[in-house]
Amino acid sequence: MFEKIIFATTGTPTCDHAAHVAFDLKKKYNSELTLFHSMGMPSRGFSPFIKDSRTGEDEYLDNDYADWVKEELKTYYAKQLAETEGVMIETSAGESHREILRAARKNDADLIVMGAHSRDEEAGATRYRNVVGSTMQRVAKGAKCPVLIVSRPCTTCLWYFSNIIFGTDFSKASYSAFLFAYQLAKEIGAKLHLFHAMDMTSIHSGKAVSQEEIEAAIADARKRIEKTYVAKMADYDNYEIEVWEGVPYVEILKFARERNGDLIVMSHHTREVDPDDAVLGSTVEQVVLRAACPVASVNRPDKVS
Amino acid sequence: MNAVTLKNNGALFCDGAPIGDEPLMCLGKQVVLDHGVTLRSVFRMIETYPLLSRLNPFFPTYIEQYREIPADGCTCDDFAHIEFSKTVEMIGYPGEPRLEIYSALKGEGGGETREIRNYELEHLLDMPLLLGKLRHIVFGDKVDQFEFGTVFTLFEFIDGIVWELSFHGTLRACALRR
Repeated sequence: MFEKIIFATTGTPTCDHAAHVAFDLKKKYNSELTLFHSMGMPSRGFSPFIKDSRTGEDEYLDNDYADWVKEELKTYYAKQLAETEGVMIETSAGESHREILRAARKNDADLIVMGAHSRDEEAGATRYRNVVGSTMQRVAKGAKCPVLIVSRPCTTCLWYFSNIIFGTDFSKASYSAFLFAYQLAKEIGAKLHLFHAMDMTSIHSGKAVSQEEIEAAIADARKRIEKTYVAKMADYDNYEIEVWEGVPYVEILKFARERNGDLIVMSHHTREVDPDDAVLGSTVEQVVLRAACPVASVNRPDKVS
Repeated sequence: MNAVTLKNNGALFCDGAPIGDEPLMCLGKQVVLDHGVTLRSVFRMIETYPLLSRLNPFFPTYIEQYREIPADGCTCDDFAHIEFSKTVEMIGYPGEPRLEIYSALKGEGGGETREIRNYELEHLLDMPLLLGKLRHIVFGDKVDQFEFGTVFTLFEFIDGIVWELSFHGTLRACALRR
Protein backbone atom coordinates (compact mmCIF):
# COMPACT_ATOMS: atom_id res chain seq x y z
CA MET A 1 0.00 0.00 0.00
CA PHE A 2 2.79 2.43 0.92
CA GLU A 3 6.03 1.62 -0.85
CA LYS A 4 7.76 4.93 -0.31
CA ILE A 5 7.05 7.16 2.66
CA ILE A 6 8.53 10.54 3.44
CA PHE A 7 8.47 11.66 7.03
CA ALA A 8 8.96 15.44 7.10
CA THR A 9 10.32 16.45 10.48
CA THR A 10 11.82 19.35 12.35
CA GLY A 11 13.63 16.87 14.59
CA THR A 12 11.88 18.31 17.66
CA PRO A 13 9.24 16.98 20.09
CA THR A 14 6.44 18.59 18.03
CA CYS A 15 6.99 15.86 15.43
CA ASP A 16 7.15 12.96 17.91
CA HIS A 17 3.59 11.76 17.33
CA ALA A 18 4.08 11.87 13.57
CA ALA A 19 7.37 9.98 14.02
CA HIS A 20 5.60 7.15 15.84
CA VAL A 21 3.15 6.78 12.99
CA ALA A 22 5.81 7.06 10.24
CA PHE A 23 8.02 4.37 11.77
CA ASP A 24 4.97 2.21 12.54
CA LEU A 25 3.87 2.42 8.91
CA LYS A 26 7.33 1.50 7.68
CA LYS A 27 7.34 -1.59 9.89
CA LYS A 28 3.84 -2.62 8.91
CA TYR A 29 4.20 -2.19 5.15
CA ASN A 30 7.95 -2.76 4.92
CA SER A 31 8.10 0.57 3.13
CA GLU A 32 11.09 2.62 2.10
CA LEU A 33 11.18 5.44 4.67
CA THR A 34 12.96 8.75 4.13
CA LEU A 35 13.40 11.01 7.10
CA PHE A 36 13.44 14.49 5.61
CA HIS A 37 14.45 17.75 7.24
CA SER A 38 14.43 21.19 5.64
CA MET A 39 17.30 23.14 7.17
CA GLY A 40 16.13 26.68 6.51
CA MET A 41 16.17 29.49 3.99
CA PRO A 42 19.29 30.98 2.43
CA SER A 43 19.56 34.38 4.10
CA ARG A 44 19.65 36.15 0.72
CA GLY A 45 19.73 34.95 -2.87
CA PHE A 46 22.58 32.52 -3.32
CA SER A 47 24.15 33.34 0.03
CA PRO A 48 26.00 30.44 1.65
CA PHE A 49 24.35 31.39 4.97
CA ILE A 50 21.01 29.93 5.93
CA LYS A 51 18.58 30.66 8.69
CA ASP A 52 18.41 27.45 10.69
CA SER A 53 14.73 26.47 10.77
CA ARG A 54 14.95 25.33 14.37
CA THR A 55 17.07 28.01 16.02
CA GLY A 56 16.58 30.99 13.68
CA GLU A 57 20.37 31.52 13.78
CA ASP A 58 22.50 32.22 10.70
CA GLU A 59 24.55 29.15 9.79
CA TYR A 60 27.17 28.62 7.10
CA LEU A 61 25.77 26.00 4.76
CA ASP A 62 28.36 23.47 3.67
CA ASN A 63 28.72 19.72 3.73
CA ASP A 64 29.93 19.79 7.33
CA TYR A 65 26.82 21.62 8.47
CA ALA A 66 24.54 19.27 6.51
CA ASP A 67 26.35 16.27 8.03
CA TRP A 68 26.01 17.79 11.47
CA VAL A 69 22.24 18.22 10.98
CA LYS A 70 21.96 14.59 9.83
CA GLU A 71 23.87 13.47 12.91
CA GLU A 72 21.51 15.51 15.07
CA LEU A 73 18.55 13.76 13.46
CA LYS A 74 20.19 10.36 13.94
CA THR A 75 20.71 11.15 17.60
CA TYR A 76 17.15 12.42 18.03
CA TYR A 77 15.61 9.35 16.39
CA ALA A 78 18.27 6.92 17.68
CA LYS A 79 15.73 4.61 19.36
CA GLN A 80 13.50 4.29 16.28
CA LEU A 81 16.45 3.98 13.91
CA ALA A 82 17.94 1.19 16.04
CA GLU A 83 14.70 -0.80 15.68
CA THR A 84 14.20 -0.09 11.98
CA GLU A 85 16.53 -0.91 9.13
CA GLY A 86 17.08 1.01 5.92
CA VAL A 87 15.80 4.44 6.87
CA MET A 88 17.32 7.16 4.68
CA ILE A 89 18.00 10.64 6.01
CA GLU A 90 17.82 13.60 3.65
CA THR A 91 18.19 17.31 4.24
CA SER A 92 18.00 20.35 2.02
CA ALA A 93 17.96 24.12 2.40
CA GLY A 94 15.06 26.27 1.27
CA GLU A 95 11.43 27.00 2.05
CA SER A 96 10.20 23.98 4.00
CA HIS A 97 7.05 23.26 1.99
CA ARG A 98 8.83 23.51 -1.37
CA GLU A 99 11.63 21.25 -0.21
CA ILE A 100 9.23 18.64 1.19
CA LEU A 101 7.23 18.63 -2.05
CA ARG A 102 10.44 18.45 -4.09
CA ALA A 103 11.68 15.50 -2.03
CA ALA A 104 8.32 13.75 -2.42
CA ARG A 105 8.47 14.19 -6.20
CA LYS A 106 12.08 13.10 -6.40
CA ASN A 107 11.48 9.95 -4.34
CA ASP A 108 8.13 9.26 -6.00
CA ALA A 109 6.61 9.02 -2.51
CA ASP A 110 3.23 7.35 -1.92
CA LEU A 111 2.70 9.14 1.36
CA ILE A 112 4.03 12.14 3.27
CA VAL A 113 3.76 11.98 7.07
CA MET A 114 4.10 15.20 9.05
CA GLY A 115 2.97 17.04 12.17
CA ALA A 116 0.55 19.98 12.12
CA HIS A 117 3.01 22.48 13.55
CA SER A 118 6.70 23.13 13.30
CA ARG A 119 6.84 24.27 16.92
CA ASP A 120 4.93 23.64 20.08
CA GLU A 121 1.79 25.78 20.06
CA GLU A 122 -0.72 26.53 22.75
CA ALA A 123 -4.30 25.94 21.69
CA GLY A 124 -5.11 29.61 22.29
CA ALA A 125 -2.30 30.78 20.05
CA THR A 126 -3.32 28.49 17.17
CA ARG A 127 -6.31 30.75 16.76
CA TYR A 128 -4.12 33.42 15.26
CA ARG A 129 -1.20 31.74 13.63
CA ASN A 130 0.51 28.80 12.02
CA VAL A 131 -2.50 27.51 10.18
CA VAL A 132 -3.06 29.62 7.09
CA GLY A 133 0.18 29.64 5.12
CA SER A 134 1.78 27.03 7.35
CA THR A 135 4.10 24.36 5.97
CA MET A 136 1.45 21.72 6.72
CA GLN A 137 -1.21 23.57 4.75
CA ARG A 138 1.06 24.24 1.78
CA VAL A 139 2.33 20.67 1.62
CA ALA A 140 -1.15 19.22 1.99
CA LYS A 141 -2.48 21.42 -0.81
CA GLY A 142 0.41 20.89 -3.20
CA ALA A 143 1.29 17.22 -2.75
CA LYS A 144 0.45 14.72 -5.45
CA CYS A 145 0.36 11.93 -2.88
CA PRO A 146 -1.72 11.67 0.29
CA VAL A 147 -0.43 13.66 3.27
CA LEU A 148 -0.95 12.15 6.71
CA ILE A 149 -1.03 14.84 9.39
CA VAL A 150 -0.51 13.63 12.93
CA SER A 151 -0.80 16.14 15.73
CA ARG A 152 -1.98 14.01 18.64
CA PRO A 153 -0.60 10.91 20.35
CA CYS A 154 -1.65 7.91 18.31
CA THR A 155 1.07 5.40 18.83
CA THR A 156 -0.62 2.20 17.76
CA CYS A 157 -3.66 3.18 15.73
CA LEU A 158 -2.15 2.14 12.44
CA TRP A 159 -1.82 -1.42 13.65
CA TYR A 160 -5.43 -1.62 14.72
CA PHE A 161 -7.26 0.67 12.32
CA SER A 162 -10.89 -0.23 12.52
CA ASN A 163 -12.77 2.91 11.56
CA ILE A 164 -11.85 5.15 8.66
CA ILE A 165 -13.91 8.32 8.30
CA PHE A 166 -14.11 9.76 4.80
CA GLY A 167 -15.51 13.30 4.79
CA THR A 168 -16.78 14.50 1.42
CA ASP A 169 -18.08 17.68 -0.12
CA PHE A 170 -18.63 15.88 -3.47
CA SER A 171 -15.83 17.77 -5.20
CA LYS A 172 -13.37 16.27 -7.68
CA ALA A 173 -10.63 16.31 -5.06
CA SER A 174 -12.94 14.49 -2.66
CA TYR A 175 -13.13 11.62 -5.13
CA SER A 176 -9.34 11.19 -4.85
CA ALA A 177 -9.71 11.18 -1.07
CA PHE A 178 -12.42 8.53 -1.41
CA LEU A 179 -10.15 6.30 -3.50
CA PHE A 180 -7.47 6.49 -0.83
CA ALA A 181 -9.90 5.84 2.03
CA TYR A 182 -11.54 2.93 0.20
CA GLN A 183 -8.23 1.29 -0.78
CA LEU A 184 -6.93 1.61 2.76
CA ALA A 185 -10.15 0.28 4.32
CA LYS A 186 -10.13 -2.70 1.94
CA GLU A 187 -6.45 -3.38 2.55
CA ILE A 188 -6.69 -3.47 6.33
CA GLY A 189 -10.28 -4.59 6.70
CA ALA A 190 -11.52 -1.43 8.38
CA LYS A 191 -15.04 -0.08 8.35
CA LEU A 192 -15.40 2.83 5.94
CA HIS A 193 -17.67 5.66 7.09
CA LEU A 194 -18.83 7.77 4.15
CA PHE A 195 -19.73 11.08 5.77
CA HIS A 196 -21.11 14.34 4.46
CA ALA A 197 -21.76 17.40 6.59
CA MET A 198 -24.35 19.74 5.11
CA ASP A 199 -23.18 23.27 5.67
CA MET A 200 -26.20 24.88 7.27
CA THR A 201 -24.49 28.26 7.44
CA SER A 202 -24.49 28.51 3.64
CA ILE A 203 -27.92 26.95 3.17
CA HIS A 204 -29.54 29.45 5.52
CA SER A 205 -28.36 32.71 3.88
CA GLY A 206 -30.89 34.69 5.85
CA LYS A 207 -33.96 32.49 5.37
CA ALA A 208 -35.38 29.93 7.71
CA VAL A 209 -35.08 26.34 6.46
CA SER A 210 -37.89 23.98 7.33
CA GLN A 211 -37.31 20.51 8.76
CA GLU A 212 -38.78 19.02 5.56
CA GLU A 213 -36.24 20.89 3.43
CA ILE A 214 -33.39 19.71 5.65
CA GLU A 215 -34.59 16.10 5.48
CA ALA A 216 -34.94 16.30 1.70
CA ALA A 217 -31.40 17.67 1.40
CA ILE A 218 -30.09 14.87 3.63
CA ALA A 219 -31.88 12.25 1.50
CA ASP A 220 -30.37 13.82 -1.64
CA ALA A 221 -26.87 13.74 -0.16
CA ARG A 222 -27.28 10.05 0.77
CA LYS A 223 -28.34 9.23 -2.78
CA ARG A 224 -25.36 11.14 -4.09
CA ILE A 225 -22.98 9.20 -1.84
CA GLU A 226 -24.50 5.93 -3.05
CA LYS A 227 -24.21 6.95 -6.68
CA THR A 228 -20.73 8.51 -6.52
CA TYR A 229 -18.93 6.27 -4.06
CA VAL A 230 -20.84 3.12 -3.10
CA ALA A 231 -21.32 2.24 -6.78
CA LYS A 232 -17.52 2.13 -7.12
CA MET A 233 -16.98 -0.21 -4.19
CA ALA A 234 -18.04 -3.43 -5.96
CA ASP A 235 -18.86 -6.03 -3.31
CA TYR A 236 -17.20 -4.23 -0.38
CA ASP A 237 -19.97 -4.03 2.19
CA ASN A 238 -18.18 -2.91 5.34
CA TYR A 239 -19.34 0.67 5.08
CA GLU A 240 -21.84 3.11 6.54
CA ILE A 241 -23.33 6.29 5.10
CA GLU A 242 -24.04 9.25 7.35
CA VAL A 243 -25.20 12.77 6.53
CA TRP A 244 -25.36 15.33 9.32
CA GLU A 245 -26.25 18.98 9.14
CA GLY A 246 -24.38 21.80 10.87
CA VAL A 247 -20.98 23.44 10.70
CA PRO A 248 -18.91 20.97 8.63
CA TYR A 249 -15.75 20.82 10.76
CA VAL A 250 -17.73 20.53 13.99
CA GLU A 251 -19.86 17.74 12.56
CA ILE A 252 -16.89 15.79 11.20
CA LEU A 253 -15.07 16.00 14.53
CA LYS A 254 -18.23 15.01 16.38
CA PHE A 255 -18.81 12.08 14.04
CA ALA A 256 -15.18 10.91 14.28
CA ARG A 257 -15.35 10.99 18.06
CA GLU A 258 -18.67 9.18 18.18
CA ARG A 259 -17.52 6.40 15.86
CA ASN A 260 -14.04 6.16 17.42
CA GLY A 261 -12.46 7.10 14.08
CA ASP A 262 -8.84 6.00 13.69
CA LEU A 263 -8.27 8.09 10.60
CA ILE A 264 -10.10 10.96 8.93
CA VAL A 265 -9.61 11.26 5.16
CA MET A 266 -10.53 14.53 3.44
CA SER A 267 -9.50 16.71 0.54
CA HIS A 268 -7.98 20.11 1.07
CA HIS A 269 -9.52 23.41 0.05
CA THR A 270 -12.01 22.23 -2.43
CA ARG A 271 -14.95 24.52 -2.12
CA GLU A 272 -13.64 26.89 0.46
CA VAL A 273 -12.73 30.51 0.05
CA ASP A 274 -9.33 31.61 -1.19
CA PRO A 275 -6.92 30.47 1.53
CA ASP A 276 -5.35 33.92 1.62
CA ASP A 277 -8.71 35.33 2.65
CA ALA A 278 -9.44 32.65 5.22
CA VAL A 279 -8.92 33.76 8.77
CA LEU A 280 -8.23 30.38 10.23
CA GLY A 281 -8.20 28.11 7.22
CA SER A 282 -10.55 25.59 5.77
CA THR A 283 -12.49 22.70 7.18
CA VAL A 284 -9.41 20.49 6.93
CA GLU A 285 -7.27 22.82 9.02
CA GLN A 286 -9.95 23.09 11.67
CA VAL A 287 -10.24 19.30 11.74
CA VAL A 288 -6.46 18.74 11.78
CA LEU A 289 -6.03 21.05 14.75
CA ARG A 290 -8.65 19.31 16.83
CA ALA A 291 -8.93 15.70 15.68
CA ALA A 292 -7.87 13.06 18.16
CA CYS A 293 -6.78 10.81 15.30
CA PRO A 294 -4.50 11.39 12.29
CA VAL A 295 -5.97 13.22 9.30
CA ALA A 296 -5.07 12.33 5.71
CA SER A 297 -5.39 15.08 3.13
CA VAL A 298 -5.72 13.79 -0.43
CA ASN A 299 -6.25 16.15 -3.35
CA ARG A 300 -4.90 14.45 -6.45
CA PRO A 301 -5.62 11.12 -8.06
CA ASP A 302 -1.94 10.50 -9.01
CA LYS A 303 -1.10 8.09 -6.20
CA VAL A 304 -4.50 6.69 -5.39
CA SER A 305 -6.11 5.67 -8.66
CA MET B 1 -19.98 47.42 40.18
CA ASN B 2 -18.96 46.35 36.69
CA ALA B 3 -18.48 42.71 37.65
CA VAL B 4 -20.50 39.55 37.29
CA THR B 5 -20.05 36.65 39.70
CA LEU B 6 -20.30 33.03 38.64
CA LYS B 7 -21.63 30.80 41.41
CA ASN B 8 -20.91 27.10 41.80
CA ASN B 9 -24.45 26.24 40.61
CA GLY B 10 -23.93 28.15 37.36
CA ALA B 11 -25.96 31.22 38.32
CA LEU B 12 -24.65 34.67 37.42
CA PHE B 13 -25.00 37.50 39.93
CA CYS B 14 -24.51 41.18 39.37
CA ASP B 15 -24.43 43.60 42.34
CA GLY B 16 -25.58 40.76 44.57
CA ALA B 17 -28.69 39.95 42.50
CA PRO B 18 -29.33 37.28 39.83
CA ILE B 19 -28.98 38.68 36.31
CA GLY B 20 -32.30 37.29 35.07
CA ASP B 21 -32.68 36.43 31.40
CA GLU B 22 -30.17 38.93 30.03
CA PRO B 23 -26.78 37.21 30.01
CA LEU B 24 -25.65 39.06 26.87
CA MET B 25 -25.59 42.35 28.79
CA CYS B 26 -23.03 40.84 31.15
CA LEU B 27 -20.58 39.55 28.54
CA GLY B 28 -18.40 42.65 28.73
CA LYS B 29 -18.29 42.70 32.53
CA GLN B 30 -15.42 41.47 34.62
CA VAL B 31 -16.03 37.88 35.69
CA VAL B 32 -15.45 36.91 39.31
CA LEU B 33 -15.47 33.25 40.33
CA ASP B 34 -17.24 32.48 43.57
CA HIS B 35 -15.72 30.05 46.05
CA GLY B 36 -16.15 26.44 44.93
CA VAL B 37 -16.51 27.11 41.22
CA THR B 38 -15.43 24.16 39.05
CA LEU B 39 -15.48 23.47 35.32
CA ARG B 40 -18.92 21.92 35.94
CA SER B 41 -20.16 25.38 37.02
CA VAL B 42 -19.41 26.66 33.51
CA PHE B 43 -21.62 23.95 31.97
CA ARG B 44 -24.31 24.66 34.58
CA MET B 45 -24.13 28.33 33.55
CA ILE B 46 -24.69 27.37 29.89
CA GLU B 47 -27.68 25.22 30.91
CA THR B 48 -29.08 28.08 32.97
CA TYR B 49 -28.55 30.64 30.18
CA PRO B 50 -28.92 28.60 26.95
CA LEU B 51 -28.42 31.73 24.83
CA LEU B 52 -24.73 31.62 25.77
CA SER B 53 -24.34 28.25 24.03
CA ARG B 54 -24.63 30.10 20.72
CA LEU B 55 -21.26 31.71 21.29
CA ASN B 56 -19.46 28.66 19.90
CA PRO B 57 -20.52 25.80 17.61
CA PHE B 58 -18.89 23.24 19.91
CA PHE B 59 -21.12 24.02 22.90
CA PRO B 60 -24.02 21.71 21.91
CA THR B 61 -21.59 18.78 21.57
CA TYR B 62 -19.95 19.42 24.91
CA ILE B 63 -23.26 19.99 26.67
CA GLU B 64 -24.44 16.60 25.36
CA GLN B 65 -21.25 14.99 26.62
CA TYR B 66 -21.52 16.80 29.96
CA ARG B 67 -25.03 15.43 30.51
CA GLU B 68 -23.81 11.86 30.16
CA ILE B 69 -21.04 12.29 32.73
CA PRO B 70 -21.56 11.38 36.44
CA ALA B 71 -22.88 14.22 38.60
CA ASP B 72 -19.83 14.27 40.87
CA GLY B 73 -16.39 12.84 41.46
CA CYS B 74 -15.02 13.90 38.07
CA THR B 75 -11.48 14.74 39.12
CA CYS B 76 -7.93 13.65 38.46
CA ASP B 77 -4.89 13.44 40.71
CA ASP B 78 -2.33 14.88 38.32
CA PHE B 79 -2.90 18.51 39.27
CA ALA B 80 -4.66 20.53 41.97
CA HIS B 81 -6.81 22.90 39.94
CA ILE B 82 -7.52 24.20 36.46
CA GLU B 83 -6.43 27.74 35.75
CA PHE B 84 -7.73 30.12 33.11
CA SER B 85 -5.04 32.60 32.13
CA LYS B 86 -4.13 35.11 29.47
CA THR B 87 -0.93 35.47 27.46
CA VAL B 88 0.37 38.56 25.71
CA GLU B 89 3.14 37.61 23.33
CA MET B 90 5.37 40.00 21.41
CA ILE B 91 6.67 38.30 18.30
CA GLY B 92 9.52 39.90 16.42
CA TYR B 93 11.05 37.16 14.32
CA PRO B 94 10.35 35.69 11.85
CA GLY B 95 7.99 38.03 10.02
CA GLU B 96 6.60 41.43 10.94
CA PRO B 97 6.64 42.40 14.61
CA ARG B 98 3.24 41.80 16.14
CA LEU B 99 1.49 41.34 19.44
CA GLU B 100 -0.87 38.45 20.12
CA ILE B 101 -3.24 38.06 23.04
CA TYR B 102 -4.74 34.67 23.76
CA SER B 103 -6.11 32.65 26.64
CA ALA B 104 -5.20 29.24 28.02
CA LEU B 105 -6.78 26.64 30.26
CA LYS B 106 -4.27 24.44 32.03
CA GLY B 107 -3.87 22.12 34.96
CA GLU B 108 -1.77 23.54 37.79
CA GLY B 109 -0.37 21.89 40.88
CA GLY B 110 2.84 21.10 42.70
CA GLY B 111 4.62 23.89 40.84
CA GLU B 112 3.89 22.24 37.50
CA THR B 113 1.68 23.22 34.59
CA ARG B 114 0.00 20.52 32.54
CA GLU B 115 -1.83 20.50 29.22
CA ILE B 116 -5.35 19.22 29.83
CA ARG B 117 -6.26 18.36 26.25
CA ASN B 118 -5.46 14.69 26.77
CA TYR B 119 -7.74 14.34 29.77
CA GLU B 120 -11.33 13.22 29.33
CA LEU B 121 -13.98 15.72 30.41
CA GLU B 122 -15.06 13.23 33.07
CA HIS B 123 -11.71 13.75 34.80
CA LEU B 124 -11.90 17.53 34.70
CA LEU B 125 -15.45 18.62 35.50
CA ASP B 126 -15.11 18.77 39.28
CA MET B 127 -11.61 20.22 39.39
CA PRO B 128 -11.56 23.67 41.04
CA LEU B 129 -11.42 26.43 38.45
CA LEU B 130 -9.40 29.56 39.17
CA LEU B 131 -8.57 32.73 37.28
CA GLY B 132 -4.86 33.09 36.71
CA LYS B 133 -2.51 35.85 35.74
CA LEU B 134 -1.47 37.50 32.54
CA ARG B 135 1.81 36.19 31.16
CA HIS B 136 3.86 38.54 29.02
CA ILE B 137 6.24 36.73 26.68
CA VAL B 138 8.84 38.96 25.09
CA PHE B 139 9.81 38.16 21.50
CA GLY B 140 8.89 34.49 21.64
CA ASP B 141 11.37 33.68 24.37
CA LYS B 142 9.36 31.73 26.91
CA VAL B 143 12.19 32.03 29.41
CA ASP B 144 11.91 35.79 29.27
CA GLN B 145 8.39 36.25 30.59
CA PHE B 146 6.66 38.31 33.24
CA GLU B 147 3.44 37.76 35.15
CA PHE B 148 0.87 40.40 36.05
CA GLY B 149 -2.44 40.43 37.85
CA THR B 150 -5.33 40.99 35.43
CA VAL B 151 -9.08 40.74 34.94
CA PHE B 152 -11.13 38.72 32.44
CA THR B 153 -14.48 39.60 30.92
CA LEU B 154 -17.27 37.01 30.99
CA PHE B 155 -16.98 36.73 27.21
CA GLU B 156 -13.23 36.04 27.31
CA PHE B 157 -13.84 33.45 30.00
CA ILE B 158 -16.60 31.51 28.19
CA ASP B 159 -15.08 31.81 24.73
CA GLY B 160 -11.58 30.91 25.92
CA ILE B 161 -12.76 27.83 27.78
CA VAL B 162 -14.81 26.40 24.94
CA TRP B 163 -12.06 27.18 22.41
CA GLU B 164 -9.62 25.21 24.54
CA LEU B 165 -12.13 22.38 25.07
CA SER B 166 -12.62 22.10 21.31
CA PHE B 167 -9.03 20.85 21.14
CA HIS B 168 -9.76 18.10 23.62
CA GLY B 169 -10.97 14.66 22.82
CA THR B 170 -8.47 11.88 23.22
CA LEU B 171 -10.32 8.83 22.07
CA ARG B 172 -11.10 6.36 24.80
CA ALA B 173 -10.08 3.56 22.46
CA CYS B 174 -6.77 5.29 21.76
CA ALA B 175 -6.08 5.73 25.45
CA LEU B 176 -6.74 2.03 26.06
CA ARG B 177 -4.37 1.01 23.30
CA ARG B 178 -1.59 3.15 24.69
